[in-house]
Amino acid sequence: MAEVHALAGTEVFEGRRDVVRSYGSLVIGALLREKSFRAGVIIIAFVAVGAMLAPAVAWLLGHGPTEQFRDTALTEMGLPTGPTLEFPLGADGNGRDVLVRTLYGARVSLAIAIPATTLAMIIGTAIGLVSGFLGGRIDRIVSQGIDIALSFPFIVTALSLLTLNRGADGKVLVAPSLVVVLIITLFSWTYFARLTRGLVLVLRRSPLVEAAQTIGASKAHIILREILPNIAPVILVYWAVQLPTNIVAEATLSFLGVGVQAPEPSWGTMIAEAQRSSLYQVQPWFLLGPGIALFLTVAGFNTLSAGLRNVLDPRRHSG
Amino acid sequence: MAIFSVAGLHVAFGMSKVVQGVSFAVEPGKTLAIVGESGSGKSASLLGATGLLPPAATVSGSVLHKGEQLLGLPAREMRKRRGAEIGFIFQDPLSNLHPLKTIGEQIGEAVTAHRRVGRTELRELVLGLLADVGIRNPAARINDYPRQFSGGMRQRVMIAAAIALNPGLIIADEPTTALDVTVQASILDLLKRIQQDHGAAMIFVSHDLAVVSDIADDVLVMRSGQVVEQSSARVIYHAPRQAYTQELLGAARLGGLAARAPEPLPPPPPKPNLLSISGVWRSFAGRSRVGGRLIRPVLQDVSFDIGENEIVGLVGESGSGKSTIGRLVAGLDQPDEGKLSMRERVYSRPGPGGIDIDRQLRSEIQVVFQDPYASLNPRRRVRSILAEPFIVGTQLDAVAIRRRVQELVLDVELNEDLLDRFPAQLSGGQRQRVAIARAIALEPSLVVADEPVSALDVTTQVKIIRLLQTLRERKKLSLLFISHDLGVVSELCDRVIVLDKGLAVDAGETAKVFGAPRHPYTRKLIDAIPGKSLQESTMPQKVAAHG
Repeated sequence: MAEVHALAGTEVFEGRRDVVRSYGSLVIGALLREKSFRAGVIIIAFVAVGAMLAPAVAWLLGHGPTEQFRDTALTEMGLPTGPTLEFPLGADGNGRDVLVRTLYGARVSLAIAIPATTLAMIIGTAIGLVSGFLGGRIDRIVSQGIDIALSFPFIVTALSLLTLNRGADGKVLVAPSLVVVLIITLFSWTYFARLTRGLVLVLRRSPLVEAAQTIGASKAHIILREILPNIAPVILVYWAVQLPTNIVAEATLSFLGVGVQAPEPSWGTMIAEAQRSSLYQVQPWFLLGPGIALFLTVAGFNTLSAGLRNVLDPRRHSG
Repeated sequence: MAIFSVAGLHVAFGMSKVVQGVSFAVEPGKTLAIVGESGSGKSASLLGATGLLPPAATVSGSVLHKGEQLLGLPAREMRKRRGAEIGFIFQDPLSNLHPLKTIGEQIGEAVTAHRRVGRTELRELVLGLLADVGIRNPAARINDYPRQFSGGMRQRVMIAAAIALNPGLIIADEPTTALDVTVQASILDLLKRIQQDHGAAMIFVSHDLAVVSDIADDVLVMRSGQVVEQSSARVIYHAPRQAYTQELLGAARLGGLAARAPEPLPPPPPKPNLLSISGVWRSFAGRSRVGGRLIRPVLQDVSFDIGENEIVGLVGESGSGKSTIGRLVAGLDQPDEGKLSMRERVYSRPGPGGIDIDRQLRSEIQVVFQDPYASLNPRRRVRSILAEPFIVGTQLDAVAIRRRVQELVLDVELNEDLLDRFPAQLSGGQRQRVAIARAIALEPSLVVADEPVSALDVTTQVKIIRLLQTLRERKKLSLLFISHDLGVVSELCDRVIVLDKGLAVDAGETAKVFGAPRHPYTRKLIDAIPGKSLQESTMPQKVAAHG
């Protein structure tokens, strides 16, 4: 079947034009031809543009994210109105604009999940690289550490950490969003570390690394220049896989009332409010707004990661 | 009347045409060999003819099996014929055998896929087949798993499955390529015997004319999807018409070693000693079947020297410990006992801190690995791969490094255009040249070459061997050349060391060791080299077209 493999290779690499193009542009070209990657990018771009335009929408409608319009947005019974021209997605129980709050919520979700996932990736990859490459005692200690970190239950630990964040007077010591970022990082670096360690263990004994050893390359050089570039695509794919999980984690914490604090809008708190007050029965968009936004974001990143994996995963095009 | 005939076969993957108008036919009891280098379309034409290519491939032409057109038959009909009337044997028995099923079950499946057979009858059938393919004590081994068999034995199992239903046609695609030379000889014998017993037709695909010389009645030489020459084996081996066939013949080292051994040179002056290995032992911890630890000795008291500017060959079958020696010499592994020294300075001995290699010595010993696909970083351009030794090992500035890289590329006879490519954009031979260039970058005194040509086509092998010879002259290199291929070793090496199960059983000047083998194991290795039958008949004049 060697011929078949060779063909798959020439398809990507044939011709002089391609020879002068960089590896990066080849990858980007292949990514853009990948349907699921394109779909993911479009969905995420839609969410990101929404998040960016949140202040503009708020200005156009004249509703701030935390402003209450009890006169216009609530009926005489005190129930929120459904979608109208003034409130495109209706209002919530406090007379706030659901659309504006959903758009601002996107900012919160991305502003927490992206730094948390990136931080977890950096920490996890660094630890995995060192432990996988050095092996021996260091590897055993790190592996034990990962097992211990994984054995903590997420919700319980997060709840207690956030409770500890309150001083004697009941005021928060550190901004809760920062604590949420740290908690999510704490719970997701282990996955990156395990993945990286496994990949490094395979590469460490490969001729690639041994060839670098025989020319006298230092350990740091081998890790950073020979191993890291070869595992980076897999880790990037995993970043995109982990990100939606972390968006949901942030929503979960906010839903439980320990993440982003009211009245600041977050999808988690919005869904929690809708659910607690049962007002979604009168004004379904109260729940659907943040719900659909959350679904779109998660689906977008999952689609994107599927496309990334199709193109970048080295197991797909060996040789 | 031909049992299987292919006419005007075309196979294409999208725009690229892999097979262009190939025709051949094979009669019962005869063997047709299809020979060509990788990418020549030899496998693609057979897989295409039997409907085994992925749907992305377009196949056209005519394929007649027992007078019936196979192309365009529904998949169901094709499946009925495959296995029952056409038996297949592929290159890598390990990846074609299910690791979690016993070999008895797997051979049995070949039967039950086509026929209803009672359990006892099936068992009898499988036992008979195992005995037929030369597996000793079949009743004891029928319930073993593939991992409990050696490579050669696994290939016998594959053959048993292929002949289970007594097919009229056997297709063998490089069935011996992954095997040691002695095992290869026994598998070739087995195939020949089985074919005669069963009166089947056989199509044997190989990249090596020597391998098929003992077995083929007709030979078809392919290149870039087209037939170069097609004739009876007699004509191909004794009076080839096409230059390309002659080139392949020249590369195939037909007629064994004697004809090829270098003309007796005046005894070379004793060379000053460069590397010495003395009393080296090495063993690896394995696991025995009951789960306890088992120490598997790999090297047992191995000692030898390599002189300045000398090429020493290290031959043996897989598992003989030859690669371990290479790794020890390169400082990638540590001996359990004994020591290695370079110019009298000991650099590797047992115990912690036993490997003591400074920057100077690092650049003195370099390695060329077997698989250039795995040893070149796929994410980096050739230019950056070749600049690496200079960045790590010297204080040169960017301009000087650039110049040195360009010199290196010329040294290994590559085009400068290739500098901006990635390894995936190079052919196998080009990749191995890049690997060699990297190894000679720091002007080492010793290069360890671990099977550097075994992953390459025969014609490419010849060119790489010549490059190594040139480099040895020009750069005053010594070479530790590790190979299982006695032909290559006899052509290149001044001295040779024969390893068997971790013991150096024979050593000396190449011509002497191979010309008059003293040790029975050396004798066995030499006897196993394919192409014996031709050597005994009239040898053609050594072919001129050599590259």
